[in-house]
Amino acid sequence: MSWQAIFAAMLPEHILLAGLVGLIVLEIVADHPRGSLGVSIVTVCLAAVAALALNLGGVHADPFPGQYSVLPGMSLAKALVLAFALPVLLFAREERTNLRFYPLLLSSLYGFCLIVSAESFLTLFLGLELMSLPVYVLVLLGIRRPDSAEAALKYLVLGGTATALFLMGVALLYGGAASLSIAAFATALHSPDVMARAAVVLIVTAFFIKAAIVPFHAWAPDAYEGASIPVTAFMATIIKAGVLLAVVRLVGTEPLARPMIDLLAILPLVSIVWGNLAAMRQTSFRRMIAYSSIAHAGYLFYAFLGDGATRFQGVVFYLVAYGLANLLAFAALPRGGEDIAADRLDNFKGLFRRRPYAALMIGIAMLSLAGIPPFPGFIAKFLIFRNVMAAGYTTYAVLGLVGSYLGIYFYLRVIQFMFMSADEPEKAPGTVRIALAASVLCLVGIAIFALLPGFVLARL
Amino acid sequence: MADATLLSIVLYLPLAGIAMLVAVARGNDELVRRISLAVMTLQFVLTAVLYAHFDGAVAGLQFETRTPWIADWGVYYHIGLDGMSILLVLLTAFLGPLVVAGAFSAITRDVKLFYAMVFLIQFAMLGTFVAQDLFLFYLFWETMLIPMFLIIGIWGGERRIYATIKFFLYTAFGSILMLAAVIYLVYSLQQSSGITSFAFTDLYKAQLPLSTQVVLLAAFGLSFAIKVPMVPLHTWLPDAHVEAPTAGSVILAGVLLKMGTYGFMKLGFPLFPDATRMLVPAIMALSVISIIYGACLALVQNDIKKIIAYSSISHLGYVMLGLASLDLVGIQGAVIQMVSHGLTAAGLFLMVGMIYERCHTRDLAAYGGLAKLLPVYSVYFMVLTLASVGLPTTSGFTGEFLVLLGAFRASWQMHLQGATLPLVLSSLAVLGVVLGALYMLRFAQGFMFGAAKAPHQPLQDLGFRERAILAIIVAAVFWLGLFPEGPMQKTEQAAKQYRELVMTERLPGGAR
Repeated sequence: MSWQAIFAAMLPEHILLAGLVGLIVLEIVADHPRGSLGVSIVTVCLAAVAALALNLGGVHADPFPGQYSVLPGMSLAKALVLAFALPVLLFAREERTNLRFYPLLLSSLYGFCLIVSAESFLTLFLGLELMSLPVYVLVLLGIRRPDSAEAALKYLVLGGTATALFLMGVALLYGGAASLSIAAFATALHSPDVMARAAVVLIVTAFFIKAAIVPFHAWAPDAYEGASIPVTAFMATIIKAGVLLAVVRLVGTEPLARPMIDLLAILPLVSIVWGNLAAMRQTSFRRMIAYSSIAHAGYLFYAFLGDGATRFQGVVFYLVAYGLANLLAFAALPRGGEDIAADRLDNFKGLFRRRPYAALMIGIAMLSLAGIPPFPGFIAKFLIFRNVMAAGYTTYAVLGLVGSYLGIYFYLRVIQFMFMSADEPEKAPGTVRIALAASVLCLVGIAIFALLPGFVLARL
Repeated sequence: MADATLLSIVLYLPLAGIAMLVAVARGNDELVRRISLAVMTLQFVLTAVLYAHFDGAVAGLQFETRTPWIADWGVYYHIGLDGMSILLVLLTAFLGPLVVAGAFSAITRDVKLFYAMVFLIQFAMLGTFVAQDLFLFYLFWETMLIPMFLIIGIWGGERRIYATIKFFLYTAFGSILMLAAVIYLVYSLQQSSGITSFAFTDLYKAQLPLSTQVVLLAAFGLSFAIKVPMVPLHTWLPDAHVEAPTAGSVILAGVLLKMGTYGFMKLGFPLFPDATRMLVPAIMALSVISIIYGACLALVQNDIKKIIAYSSISHLGYVMLGLASLDLVGIQGAVIQMVSHGLTAAGLFLMVGMIYERCHTRDLAAYGGLAKLLPVYSVYFMVLTLASVGLPTTSGFTGEFLVLLGAFRASWQMHLQGATLPLVLSSLAVLGVVLGALYMLRFAQGFMFGAAKAPHQPLQDLGFRERAILAIIVAAVFWLGLFPEGPMQKTEQAAKQYRELVMTERLPGGAR
């Protein structure tokens, strides 16, 4: 490959890196760097466009053979998830976030891009750590919240555990296959060898922790509640996407058989049920969203029950539909003051009277998350359950659907509070603002996914 | 074809209505009401044109539009009308302006959102009736829940939150199982014939073993039976009706409940014909239980809205009986009964709303001798009551009579073949007519005759708007009662097609 081709294949990463360096330089030279937000937005947009161009150009490339590869489908996934960073940055403006936020966000995105392109466990590990480490700091940056430190620590410890399990699994695989290629994982899925099986279990568990699958989910509610809104949104969408796409990289299109299917299905099913049940009792909006994301992680892992070719499509479509709804909810969330009380579900009471458009947008987001047609959340669930059933796992599909039914109530409760309660909250949050630009962006995305799902699916 | 465009216009007009409402300045409620009424009236006029253009002699769909939508899954955007859906679309469009006009004085809070939700539910209901692709049908079917959830929950009575969440969770549970069945059905079709399609016409060809058919029919049937509602899945209905604002009750009783019977007629029975034929006695039994149980409960209610709510359960039992009879007359009677119940129940709920606005109570015991206090009101009330009971010359008579005739003809045949249960059930169904007369006349007697009493006197008799609404409904009731051959002729081909589909054996070759 010519150096130009190598450069072009990694253009999204290069742009992110350039933006990151730019931000650091800006912080060194300027006393009050006002441009951080602008630089980040431009960087993210350019990186997403570059990834999209790689997809449209159908670029297949191996800039670093055996370590890093570029495939059109993965480039599209990069483009879509990088685009998620745009609304996150737009909320950050509303939040008057600590300036450290921007470089950390970009470096986490860089890690995400590495994961999606990883061909070897080395790249994958680098990507995972580069994506996760900045987030531990980002959670801590919500320092005005008393719980941030505790939340960040829990997240760090569990994240570290996941990393350790992952490394042990990789070591076992390396012991068997003498190769660090991620293809070793797919081979190990069929291997009767105990060591290979143990490796698979360790690695899958690591990803269950990172994706907050029950019973490894306990960090999520604390981290989601402790962090500031942009960071919560970032964790709920982009980090989750990174983790799931890492699993897609590993499992690939490999046909799966019984014991592995159960490994990939049982805990996610428990997550769906438990996440939805636990969400019903929450009084904090963000804790509720955390439990909802635990349930959604379950649906996402369900995508792996489908036949090989359908998995990538299922995961990406679901991630985008789920991410858009989450981002819309966070964008429209009335904010003011950083105290956790502003986040209480009670404050949603009568929101429609005070802020009709915010209430309508949160309502749309909730219905989409609940999987009520005609919103994209429904089409995404339909896609996943259709694939599961087509692969012959009818029981898992029906149980998952029934589990998703349990989730309807708590989303409805938010709508009930916003539209049907006349009670004003005891202490109305000070200045009520919503991130308008971000919410319009998400609404447009939701409309595209709802009206033209065929168009989107054909490109995945 | 021009008429196909007209159908699309009718379908999307409510969305245009919402767009117009959004543009209205905040606080200008009067304009919102006028726009809503104008759009709904226009929709009805256009639907009437469609109805006039509908050719009853042609079998199959008319005014079709079909374009690929989600190509990967074989999902088409496919809408069109057959002989049954045209009548239900006409009913929906007919009730639209009446619902809007009926809510003029009752809804004073969040007026814009209210009419937007009425438009949204109108859109979803019409969409459900015109959809010819199962995916599209499911989308519309579920979309209906959202506006109804808000209509009951925002503008309802005291226990509205309980009622609306119960309504939503009940119906959503049915829908989830139906979704599983939909996916399974489409997947089985793909396995057996290689076609990936959600089109009704393709799914009608799916060959499934009997056991699968029974399970899938149960899943679809649960969803539809909750909507109808059939005993014992009816408990959401009285709560929803009692707590809903008048407009909500009218939409619920007028159209939404027909979704269930329409679903059975269009999907449940024809998709799984062998299971259906096997289960006919059971379905008939459930229908008759609904008829009698609903009537018995209506007989002992003291809340006037509950009386009509339970009477709905009873009346829709007839529809199910007609559909299950698999007799041409019975099927057509079922369709007429659906429309007839839509008219009378909508009219009665509107009248209950009118008296509630004046007296603020729904307790039957608080009323008496309204014939003296509100003479005009009482005349309309009596006419609608008698129509509901099934007095000849009104629509109620046509529907019930045809259903019972069909049920007897079918069960006599079964009796000759040795099955006596259906005949017993059909005879019991006649008892429902007697019970119907009993509870409606008890209601009318307590309400209108005897010593004159009512809270918040002096009462004002009906105004022009209210008289106009009721006169239109009463006219429709008599039209359907005196000249049923017009609608019957339009439904004949569709009824034949339904019967043919359900009577054809569709088990996979040789397998059981």
